[in-house]
Amino acid sequence: MIALIVRRLLLGIVTVACIYALTFVMVISLPGNPFQQGQHNIPPEAEMALRARYSMDNNWLYFQEFLAGAVRLDFGPTFTYNDWTCNQIIASALPVSILLGFLAIMIAVLIGVPVGVLSAVKRGSWFDVSSLSLVLLGISVPTFVTGSALLIVFAVCLQVAPVGGWGTLGHLPLPALTLSLPFMAYIARLTRTGMLDALGSDFVRTALAKGASPRAVVWKHALKVAFLPVLSFLGPAAAQAMTGSFVVEKVFGVPGIGQHFVNAALNRDAGLIMSTVLVFSTLLVAFNLIVDVLYTWIDPRISESV
Amino acid sequence: MVRNLFFICGALLATTLSIYIFSSTEPRADFTYVNPSGIHTLDPARMSWTQDFRVALNIWEGLTTWHPQTLEPIEGAALFPPGVSDDGLTYRFAIREDARWSNGDPVTARDFLRGWRRGMEPGTATDYTFLFTENVAGAGEYVQWRREAVGGLTALARLRDGWGVSGEQAKAIVRNPVFEQIETAVDGTLFKPAKNDGNEAWERIATELGEAGVDWSSFYNRVFETHILEFDTRFDAVGLKAPDDQTFVIQLKRPCPYLLDLIALPIFLPCHESIELLRERYRGAPITAEGLVVYDPQWTKPDYHRNDYPGLLTNGPYRLSDWTFKRRARLTVNPHHRMARTVTCRTVDMAVYDNISASIMAYEAGDVDFLPAMDVPYDHEIARLARSGERPDFHLCHVSATYFLNFNCVSKSVDGRKNPFTDRRMRKAFALAVDKQRIVDKVLTRGDRVAYSFVPPNTIPGYQPPAGLSMDVDQARRLLGEAGYPDGTGLGPVELLYTPSDERVCQALARMWEQALGVRVELRSKESKTFAEDKANHRYMIARGNWYADYNDPTTFLDCLGTGNGNNDSGYSNPRYDAILAEANTACNPKRRSALLRQAESIIVEKDLPILPILHYATPIAIKPHVKGLYVNGRLWFPFRYVKVER
Repeated sequence: MIALIVRRLLLGIVTVACIYALTFVMVISLPGNPFQQGQHNIPPEAEMALRARYSMDNNWLYFQEFLAGAVRLDFGPTFTYNDWTCNQIIASALPVSILLGFLAIMIAVLIGVPVGVLSAVKRGSWFDVSSLSLVLLGISVPTFVTGSALLIVFAVCLQVAPVGGWGTLGHLPLPALTLSLPFMAYIARLTRTGMLDALGSDFVRTALAKGASPRAVVWKHALKVAFLPVLSFLGPAAAQAMTGSFVVEKVFGVPGIGQHFVNAALNRDAGLIMSTVLVFSTLLVAFNLIVDVLYTWIDPRISESV
Repeated sequence: MVRNLFFICGALLATTLSIYIFSSTEPRADFTYVNPSGIHTLDPARMSWTQDFRVALNIWEGLTTWHPQTLEPIEGAALFPPGVSDDGLTYRFAIREDARWSNGDPVTARDFLRGWRRGMEPGTATDYTFLFTENVAGAGEYVQWRREAVGGLTALARLRDGWGVSGEQAKAIVRNPVFEQIETAVDGTLFKPAKNDGNEAWERIATELGEAGVDWSSFYNRVFETHILEFDTRFDAVGLKAPDDQTFVIQLKRPCPYLLDLIALPIFLPCHESIELLRERYRGAPITAEGLVVYDPQWTKPDYHRNDYPGLLTNGPYRLSDWTFKRRARLTVNPHHRMARTVTCRTVDMAVYDNISASIMAYEAGDVDFLPAMDVPYDHEIARLARSGERPDFHLCHVSATYFLNFNCVSKSVDGRKNPFTDRRMRKAFALAVDKQRIVDKVLTRGDRVAYSFVPPNTIPGYQPPAGLSMDVDQARRLLGEAGYPDGTGLGPVELLYTPSDERVCQALARMWEQALGVRVELRSKESKTFAEDKANHRYMIARGNWYADYNDPTTFLDCLGTGNGNNDSGYSNPRYDAILAEANTACNPKRRSALLRQAESIIVEKDLPILPILHYATPIAIKPHVKGLYVNGRLWFPFRYVKVER
């Protein structure tokens, strides 16, 4: 187990380093001037001074300085938001995205798994058919549609939720629900398939033959096996929900990190682009690691094969 | 096991939620408005966005400010009007005795000197330095001297630390007086490019410098030390003086009839001395190793206390009491301000809604009281509601700004194709073939005003722009023929460069030209940063442009087309135009000046057409009926000190 974690950690560091190098090359080859802000073109001397100030007149120097900073967890200044450092921006936005993504995944699991189990148990029933169609909708309708629809119904028509923003409990349910829908749909499908497999297997038949109650067999014995594919999906899904909530953040005005990821690229804000990419990739690597560890914990047979 | 997992997740969820709830916020402010993208910067020397100006001018106060309704300059932190010398070149301001910072300190003339200097220094200033260099005596020379020194120091520091230099940096070294000594040190073997040589020559000397093997640190030290010695004495030659705490004197290099309006801009705000606690120093000198003036950028935070810094101090009717990045800023009345007692809105919240549609929904739901921007894809519908009176709380602001097209007047070819617009007749032909009324009425339907001139009419007292050109397809065709392309034959495709938000207007323009002139138009939509770079480097044939008045004078528009102006994106150069502008610059008689400027403008909108004005923007805003004291105006200037909320 420890060997596995160490190996995965080392591999993760290499992955993140490669991502950094690639991002850096892309950032410095981008056309566009990060220093021009308003309608005025920036005087050349002023631009040269600013480039020197941020070591951006020398790519190799910049590469080293940013990397040295990043290792110390200091991502340096941003060009778009002069008054804030990348660290402050990430510190203010990342918890928001993590909370939102976490809630979304929780909702997705808490609803998706039972729905998947029930539709597998009652295969072919009206519940199975209708849940399958809903799942199809959840996967195919983009979040900006579902988000806007929820917003219009609950915030504008019924006025039971605030229109957007962040800061009170009321701000949470709509964006979290919107973000969870595609994950929920996917989880329900995965659970259903896994459950169908498990229900047809020998140990379930044996348990039923020995007189175990059908409810216990389904929820205790079969689900344990059926849950494994869901679990392996949860790693990347969690990372995606926490970092890829840009659209939902935009629709609901949530001050998460997704908007900075996109805006930084549009503004050619090199420091912010690289720091958000590094944070995202680290999260992704970390979640995959956690899932691998959980995997061996739930099913010890796997630890040998991984 | 699965149950355990659920249990752990539930516990985690409960913890995060409880943390979230406990970190929740204060009660609602007296007045809430929306700033869609949040504050870009609160540093007055660096800001260039209207929404940042709005916050800055509510928390700071300059020597003058604008009347909320008439936009005339009125009294700010100094008594009004100031003393003006007969030649109009010296302004003497008396700072009010009761002008106070938000900690109770008196506002002094030195605070203004500090703030204004920040607006000029490389390192602190970015966008508006030209307002000093063009108006204040000696400012141009000082800024030039500083910029050259910064270039030289930067390059020498790079060489000293063993890094190479770029061609641009090599240029800075060659320009520096120390270059003679460097040449001697390498026995004069350095390749020295001529002034107009291209990049390659400068790259060559950059490489040679990198390999020269001289003691760069001694050269660097020499330059740095001489620069420090002159750092303050040179600034003394700039026409800004604070003879005592209460007196601030401005010496102009040319008469500036709009000075009192101009200095209400944020770049002319004062700065409290506590900022010096956060100054970056190199070897004890008040500049960085690159020669830049740099302060810890966190100085604009109310709760920042490194080095015993007291947090942001301001001298306006409000102070910044809270600022969360991209979420909210709260302004609270400044108890030391002379108007503190009469301000009825004691707290103001600036809410950030990245999505403007969401902010409109929040306005409809009653969460916010004022929307100063509603640029959404359906803004024509909002404008219609405003015009028809169906929504008396929606208003249209006719902004002092112009949407126009740039014709590339310099490049012989673009992307390997011949650029026909270096010919004035071609520009005029394309200008005459556009049905602007149709764009305003049928394409945008927002209620913008058709633009026949660069300067919006009826916005600047004492100035009426020339009539401009009306649509005339026959003359357009004739001009096209005269230029050598009868009915468009022989003319390759014409490229029109724009950003995605201009899609509809540019499609309409292309169709008009194709129908009227028989030319083929290629539409090139580029993302805004790439677009800006292409435009500034003249890599286009026709490119859309827009310009917002910085101050209330025709020159804020007309200067852009002067030869060599940094914002002259069309590359237009006409010595006659430059001469008239220069003459207007020194004219003391307002009528004469106005006539000269009008003459200059008629050259660009009736004769040479380096740009084609299309429209002057109309921007819808929304003010809740219970909010009094906000006035619709062309500068989107909304001071909150006069606001009364009658809920």
